[in-house]
This record gives sequence, structure tokens and C-alpha cells, in this order.
Amino acid sequence: MKANVPDRIAPGAITAPQAREAAKKYLSQMEGRYRALLEAAPDAMVVVNQGGLIVLVNAQAETQFGYRRDELLGRKVTEIIPDGFAERLIADDLRSAADALAQQIGTGIELVALRKDGSAFPIELMLSPLESADGILVTAAIRNISVRKAAERHLAQMEGRYRGLLEAAPDAMVVVDQGGRIVLLNAQAETQFGYRRDELLGQRVTNIIPEGFAERLIADDLRSAADALAQQIGTGIELTALRKDGSEFPIELMLSPLESAGGILVTAAIRNISVRKAAERHLAQMEGRYRGLLEAAPDAMVVVDRDGRIVLLNAQAENQFGYRRDELLGQRVTSIIPEGFAERLIADDLRSAADALAQQIGTGIELTALRKDGSEFPIELMLSPLESAEGILVTAAIRNISVRKTVEKYLSQMEGRYRGLLEAAPDGMVVVDQGGRIVLLNAQAETQFGYRRDELLGQRVTNIIPEGFAERLIADDLRSAADALAQQIGTGIELTALRKDGSEFPIELMLSPLESAGGILVTAAIRNISVRKAAERHLAQMEGRYRGLLEAAPDAMVVVDRDGRIVLLNAQAENQFGYRRDELLGQRVTSIIPEGFAERLIADDLRSAADALAQQIGTGIELTALRKDGSEFPIELMLSPLESAEGILVTAAIRNISVRKAAEKQLAQMESRYRGLLEAAPDAMVVVNKDRVIVLLNAQAETQFGYRRDELLGQAVTNIIPEGFAERLIADDLRSAADALAQQIGTGIELTALRKDGSEFPIELMLSPLASAEGVLVTAAIRNISVRKAAEQQLAAKVAELNRSNLELSQFAYIASHDLQEPLRMVASYTQLLSRRYKGKLDADADEFIGFAVDGASRMQRLIQDLLAFSQVGTKGKDLIDASSEEALKQALRNLQAAIAQSGAVVTHDGLPNVLADEGQLTALFQNLIGNAIKYQSPGTPMVTVSAVRNAEKKWLFSVQDNGLGIEPKYFEVIFGMFQRLHKRNEFAGTGIGLAICKKIVERHGGTISVESEPGRGSIFRFALAGSNGNPRISAKDN
Amino acid sequence: MSIEVLLVEDSPGDVRLTQEAFRDANRSIKLHIASDGIEAMAFLRREGSHAHAPRPDFILLDLNLPRMDGREVLATIKADESLKTIPTIVLTTSEAEADILKSYELQANCYLCKPVQLDDFESVVRSINDFWLTKAKLPHKLRIP
Repeated sequence: MKANVPDRIAPGAITAPQAREAAKKYLSQMEGRYRALLEAAPDAMVVVNQGGLIVLVNAQAETQFGYRRDELLGRKVTEIIPDGFAERLIADDLRSAADALAQQIGTGIELVALRKDGSAFPIELMLSPLESADGILVTAAIRNISVRKAAERHLAQMEGRYRGLLEAAPDAMVVVDQGGRIVLLNAQAETQFGYRRDELLGQRVTNIIPEGFAERLIADDLRSAADALAQQIGTGIELTALRKDGSEFPIELMLSPLESAGGILVTAAIRNISVRKAAERHLAQMEGRYRGLLEAAPDAMVVVDRDGRIVLLNAQAENQFGYRRDELLGQRVTSIIPEGFAERLIADDLRSAADALAQQIGTGIELTALRKDGSEFPIELMLSPLESAEGILVTAAIRNISVRKTVEKYLSQMEGRYRGLLEAAPDGMVVVDQGGRIVLLNAQAETQFGYRRDELLGQRVTNIIPEGFAERLIADDLRSAADALAQQIGTGIELTALRKDGSEFPIELMLSPLESAGGILVTAAIRNISVRKAAERHLAQMEGRYRGLLEAAPDAMVVVDRDGRIVLLNAQAENQFGYRRDELLGQRVTSIIPEGFAERLIADDLRSAADALAQQIGTGIELTALRKDGSEFPIELMLSPLESAEGILVTAAIRNISVRKAAEKQLAQMESRYRGLLEAAPDAMVVVNKDRVIVLLNAQAETQFGYRRDELLGQAVTNIIPEGFAERLIADDLRSAADALAQQIGTGIELTALRKDGSEFPIELMLSPLASAEGVLVTAAIRNISVRKAAEQQLAAKVAELNRSNLELSQFAYIASHDLQEPLRMVASYTQLLSRRYKGKLDADADEFIGFAVDGASRMQRLIQDLLAFSQVGTKGKDLIDASSEEALKQALRNLQAAIAQSGAVVTHDGLPNVLADEGQLTALFQNLIGNAIKYQSPGTPMVTVSAVRNAEKKWLFSVQDNGLGIEPKYFEVIFGMFQRLHKRNEFAGTGIGLAICKKIVERHGGTISVESEPGRGSIFRFALAGSNGNPRISAKDN
Repeated sequence: MSIEVLLVEDSPGDVRLTQEAFRDANRSIKLHIASDGIEAMAFLRREGSHAHAPRPDFILLDLNLPRMDGREVLATIKADESLKTIPTIVLTTSEAEADILKSYELQANCYLCKPVQLDDFESVVRSINDFWLTKAKLPHKLRIP
């Protein structure tokens, strides 16, 4: 407000009252206007007196400061404007009124004001002096410049940023005025155009942008400011810029108007688009290539937007899914990938873009895709986000993994088989990593080393193969993988392996490299060669023995090479041929075996090695050998092939068969004699082998059995001798060959033989073993014993008959005599009773008759007793045992006591031996003989002598000698007969059975009784008995 | 007092001989005859017609009897409580060892062979009388009510 304020009013200068009235009126008028102005002022107005007290305020001041007018009036201004007011005053005092008038709000001093509530706010203070009756007052216009301050701060901030941006802008920024002159530029502009700032300021912009700027301007003028502001770099006009040095470069120009105090300015953002141009060219190129790649990609590529719709696809996608491009574009991706895509997206969202981009085909998710025709196929899906103007798109690389799936299945199958092979491998298989740790092993390895699989996995291989593995690896590194793979078990390195239990065993180790994702692994095939080691040791041992055997061989051994030269020989060869070893080595074998060796070789070539080796000495070829001294000798040659490093050699075993030849000749001679004997043998001879088959027979055998020779050869011997042959063989096995050979026909076994016509005949079989090349044969001598059998049977029958007859007789004799006793006893007894009771009571005839009857009965009794005694020699005979003949004699003498006493006989005897006898019968024997000797006495004293001597047959020959009457020789036999008497009854008593009984007794004792006598000179009765010699009982023969 | 003797003998001739011999030896002997084993047992048990038979003082027993032979009679007598105390003498022609053994096994009191000669026979009877009926003590008769 311009107050039309008069010039300085001097204090105290009072004019006339009129003037004063006018002045008062004017003043009041002015004061009214002034107050109105004051009240209406947008700013807070405060009048302050010289004492610094507020004397006047306006409503705005009330509002600004939050006080009521009455609260402000009289307050010190410093209460609302703490600092600076005074200073301002001072400052203002130094200014002239002119300056003060000239001062505008907006150029005042900035201070801080204080409200009633204590809060502060920035103000701009404008002071002007006011002369008043009260002195100089100061009018303060107080503008709350909070907003402006903020704006200024913001503006300053923006300005700062703006400048900063401007300076930092990658693009050159140039501000051009309406005259086309550059009024502002940034560092980049300096750089871009190659000018210093001051060189460009004031320049026409066409100096740097020759053409197009103005046009742009025009163009821009047609655009609204809003458009201009909205435009971004990148959608500007492309022009060509000119550097200071005259070089040109392509730019993109972006203009925006800038209102300023100086009018509309144009801000030009100038981007050097050289690179972008190049990039665009490159991009266009790449884009072309990219599209090409996309199209050419082996995988189906599909780009999907946020809604899951396909926005881009390549030719492969068309092929894979069987759609045309336009059929798929805009389709939901779930049409072709029903499940999993969204899930994959979600999954992918969780990954950073970097990860997404880093992912390769091969690590995506496996899903099932759906063709247009409805068929399905397995896919691998790889997603990556793609930022675009339309937002985040998803690029999906879709690989048809049908083949891979098949391959995977196949691979897993192979893997299964491989694992199977690994597990089934006879050798222990262990895979070791570069750190020497076991990463894989098979069941055999578990078994070999005695560990469980989990115990070995991760272990250092040196735990099971302490030494040599690493060395082997080194060795193997020197070989190519091809060599490593080509090597077989059997040529590996031999090491010692260690079992879990600490025991060791020898192994052969074969290594091969194995490429894997984890680097180079080493596959180790471990073969337990304990057995082979043992075999090798055995082989070495055998080789030593073999050499020993060769030298010790009884036959000459010579090894011959392909050229027929001797390469090896033994000591026996030296001996046989009379050469020294060195004289024979290298010589042709024909030097020692002139003919037949080569032929033999040829023959042998036709035999397999197996046959050659199986042949024994004894079945070789017979040739003639030549000694050093020129003498010849017969040999038997046996060849066998010998494989060696030098090729096939021939081992010749050469046996000097001189002796054998002689033996063979002899044998042939013997053989023909033998055959002659065989054929001439009276018995059938049959030779049987160990299978009981007839291998030889003679003519007699043919005759006996009624077969032709050829019909029997090869027959089982049981066809002609059904039973007993085998049993005989068994029995014979128990006898030594010596016994067998010693045995004669006549002590063989009796069997039944079968003729061809089916008839049987009895045989006696004699077997003897016969050693032959075919093993032990049995020679059977077969005698037809039909005749002998018949004779035996006849004899047996006769004997049986005789025995029966004898038995009957014995029994008869016994029964007869025994049963006759009874009635005879009656007769005798009663006749005697008769005689006794009626003698002399009947007439003389009666006496005589009774006498004869009694006598007859008595005689009969005696006869029967004797007969009984006779029969009882056999029936009641006891076994012959060791008996004292002397005792028997003594008993007999006791029994004869009465007779001896009566006759006065003298009986003497020698010491008599013990004999095998029935002592009772012996007693009876002596009793009879001595009884007879006494009875048949000559006049005088009867003398009887009993003695015994050993005879030629080692028996005791007893003699009972008497001096009795003697016997005429013609009666020597007769007297031993039954009831034979040489005398009348009235001369000598006796039944005549005594000697018969003696004979029977003696014969029962196995002897014979004889008499030597001469009438008148006594008799000697002799009989022989076996000495007992302590022998056990012998049963006497019953007869 | 008479001595009752039971003679078990089937041969009438032997019976008479024995009677004659015993008469000569000892007149007080009363000889009862049973001609076979059945009759002998009936006599001993006083059965039937022998109801009033006296209890013999001893028995002379031949072995070879019809119907029930002597060995059986012997066994029966010696098994019978009331009869076994009667001395039983086997008087037989058999000299068989088996018969002798069997008889003694059956508890015969004595075994004698009948001699073939009359004189010897008479001598044996006299011996029986001398020994058994004179010297040997016999158990008193048991009165049977």
C-alpha cells in the first residue's frame, strides 16, 4: 500500500488551529483508511513504539500469533519476535526512507516468530517508520512465510536436486531461450558436444543441433504442455548432433517447455544414441536372430502372460502340440499343459529372476502335455520370467521328454541290470573316489572282506587293501582309458587284502577309470586269488616233482621239437642209448629211432590230445632203437603232445622191451600149451570175468553143457550154473591165491548145472583166480558128478538100509530078550518051585521031567541073558572116554573072584594104559576073556597074563594069554560067532556068547579081536584099543 | 499081629511067586493083591468092594501095569496126604535107569528088581521082610473113623 504519507513531520511543529483541524480531519480520514487497510491486510500488521511495545495490531496478527488484540497491545514485540526485530530496526535505520519505500514485501528480513502457544514460525518482517504524534512508530508487516519457507526449502531442495539431476543426467541437458540461445547446460552436454560450459552458454542451439531443433520446437508448440511433460526420453525425435571438433553423432532429442521469468524456455534432453543406434541395429539383428532361434529352438517355446494365456510361441510348439500358431495364441496354457504349469509358476515365483535365468533345460519339472489330437506326452517344463511392457510374462521352454523318458526307463533298467551285474559279479567290485574313499561296492566285496556294505562305504580303500592300491592307480594313470578297459582279470597286480577280522588274503586287483558327475572314480575289480596262489604253489611244486619224475622215470624220456630234434631228455635216455646228454640234445630223433617215429607222430596227430595223454606204456608202437655203439634193441614208443611257448613239442616215453619181447615169446609158447591143456582137460573149464561173464571155455564145457563155444562166450555164468557160483566166489575170495591154486578137484562145492536143453546135472565146482590184464578172472573147473552122485546116493541108501536094519536088529535083540525074560522067569521059577515042592512026592519020571524042564528053563534064561548082554553092548554102550584099562581089569577080577578062588588061577598083568573105552564094557571084555581062560584050563594051575603094548598104529595091543586048552586054528573065526561052542554042555558051562560079546565090544571100540592058539599050549587073545592120550570123548561107532 | 501088605501086580504068576516067597519068609504077612492101578487105588481108598479093606503097612508096586501104571499109582499115593506115609516099594523087572530115577523122584521108598532066578527072587523077598518089616520102623496105623 502506498501510503501517501507526507514527508517527515518535525516534532513539535504545530501549525495553526485550522491547519490543525484540517490535519486532524485529514488524519482521521487517513487513519480510517489506514485502519481499513490495516485490517484488511493479508499480512499481520503490528505497530511498535520506540519502547518496543506493540501499540497497534490487526486481526491477522491476532490470528498469526494466536493472541487477542488486547493481549498483544502493550506487549513487548520481542515476545512475539524474539530476535532480530531490533536489528532490523537498526538495519532499517541505516536505510533511507527511499529505500524503505522501495522495499517490497518479499525482500524483508526473515525472522522467527513466536505464537502464544509457544510454537514458532518463520516470518518475513517489513518495517517502515511511521511518524506520529507519539513519536516514530514502526510499522511491521509480518508475513508468515512458513509456506514460502517450505516452498523455498523445497524449491531450494528441488533446485539442488534439479541441478544435481541436471548435472548427473546421463543425457546432455540444454535449456534454450526463445531466441534459440543456450542459457543452461549440464556437464554431460559439455562432454557430449566437446565444449566448455561458457563456450556454449549464449550459443545458438543450432550450433550443436544443426537441423531439426526448430522443427521440433514447432512440433512441440503444437503439443500441449501436458503432453510435453508426459513425454519421456525414448520417444523423442532422432537427429544428428555436431561436436566441437566437427564430428557428428546421432541423438534423440526430447524437448519440454519451461516457464521462467525470462519467458518460455525449452529444456532439451539430448541423448547420444550412438550406442543405442548400434544396439538397435544389433537388437534388430539379434531380434532377427532371436526370432530365428526361438523358431529354431528344439524345444517348444511358449510365452504366457499373467492370465495364463499364450502370447508367443515358436514353430516347435506348433509341431509339439499339433496346433497352428494362431490357434494357440490367446489360448490358456492349460489347454496344452493341463496340470502343473501354475504350480510351477508359483514355485518359480519363489525363485529369484537370477536363479530362473540360470536354470538350464534338464532341471525342470516333469509334466504331461496334451496335443491337439488329445494324445499325451511327457514334457519337461522350464520357466523364466520375462519383463515386458505388458508386465511379467513367463517364458516356458517345453521339452518333449518322451524319448528321454524312454531312455530314463531304459537307463534305470540298465542301471538295475548294471547293479545286478555288479552284485552278481564273482569278483568283489569296489568304486573309489579321488579321495581314495569307497563310494560303491557289491555283495561279493562284502563277503570277501567280511564287512557289511554300510561299514565299507566312505571308508578309505587302504583299510581293505593296505598297500599297492595307490601305486596301482599311479600305474594306471599312465595307461589310457582304452587300455584300462581292455585289460582282463588275470593280468592285474597282486596285492594283499585285509578282512574285517584282520585276516589277510591274496588278491588280484584290476582298475578302470569311471567318469561321473562327481569326477573321475576308479572301479576296482578284486579277485580273491587264494586258490590260484595255492594252485601256483602247487604247480611250482608239481613242476619240481615233475622234473624229478622225469629224471627218475624208469623209461627213457625224450622231448622232440617240430623239426624232430631232441630238446630234452632224462638220465634213463642217456643210459638206454649210451649217449651223454649233450651228445643227444639237438640231434635228430631219427639218430636213435631210425624208423617209425615220424609215422607215429602222424598217427598221433590223428588222435586228440586227450587220447594221447590217456594212453599208457604198454599200448604204444613197437619200434627198433639204435644205441650209440650201433647195437639195436626193441622199444615201445609212447608219444604225447606238449604245448610250450616254443610250440607243440612231442614227449616220447621210450621203453626198452627186450625183456618183454622175450617174455612175450615165452608167453605165447606157454599160452599155446595152456590152451592145449585146457582143451584136453577132462573137466569142463570155464573162465569167468568179474562181471560173471564167460570169457573162455574148453571143448569139454561145450560137451557138458550142450552149447557151442560161441553160444557160451559172453553168457552170464549163471545161465549154466544158476546158483552157487557167486557164493563160491565170495567164499573163495576169503582164500589166498596160494590156497586156491593148491586145491584139488574133489574138494570143491557141489552145485547144480543147467544144460542148454534145460536139463540139470550135478557138478562139482572148483574155482581159482587168474590174474589177467582184464583184472582177476576166475577159472572154474566143472566136473560132472552125476555118476558119483548116483553112486553116493546108492551108497547112502544102502547105508541107511543097513543102519535101519541094524537098528531093528538091536532093538529086536533087546526087546526079544527083554520081553522073553518075563514068561521065561515064570517057567523057570515055577518049574523050580515044582521041583522043590514035589521032588520025591511024584514018581521018578515026574522028577526027571521036571528036572529037564527046570534045566531047560535055566538054560533058556541064561541064553536070553547073554543075548541081552550081547545086544546091550551096542544099545547100552557108553561113549568112549579116557578109561583105565587097569581098573577095568581089576573090576573083572573082582567079579571073577569066586571062580579064581575056586580054580586057584593066577592072573598077572603089566601096567595097563589108559585107553579110550567104555570102562564097563572093558570090564566085561576082560571078565569074559579071563573067565574063559580060567574055565578052559588045562590040568594044573591056570595062569593068565594080561599085557599091553603099542602097535604100529599107535594103538594099545592088549594080550590075554593063558595056559589053557588052546583052540584049533580052524575054529579061530567060528569061536567069535554067536552061541558057538566048541565043547559039550556037560563039559563046560556057558552059552557060547562070551567071545561074541568080546568081539562086539572090541569092534565097538574100533578094534579087532584075534586069537593065537595051539591046542594044548594055551591061547593068546589080542585086541587093540586107542590110547586115550588125554583126548576128549569120542563117540563110538554104533554097529 | 498081621502085617498088611498090598501087592500091586498084574502077572498072576508073579503074584503066586510073591505069595509063596512071603509065606516062606514071614507067615504073619497078609498079602493083598491088586492087579492094576485102579484096583490098587480103590483098595487104598476103601472104595467100592474094598470098602472094608485094611490099610496096608506097606505096598509092593510093579511099574508095568495095565490101565493105570505103577508110576502113576506111585505118584497118586505119594500125593495123597492120607496115603503117602505108607512105605511103597517098587518091585519090577525093569532095570532101566530112567525107571529107577523116576520112581525115586516120585518118592518111592525103595526100588527093587525082580531077579530072574527063583532063588534070587526068594532072597529079595526075604530081604524085604528082614529090612522093611522087621528092622525098619513103620508108622502106626491110623484108625479111620
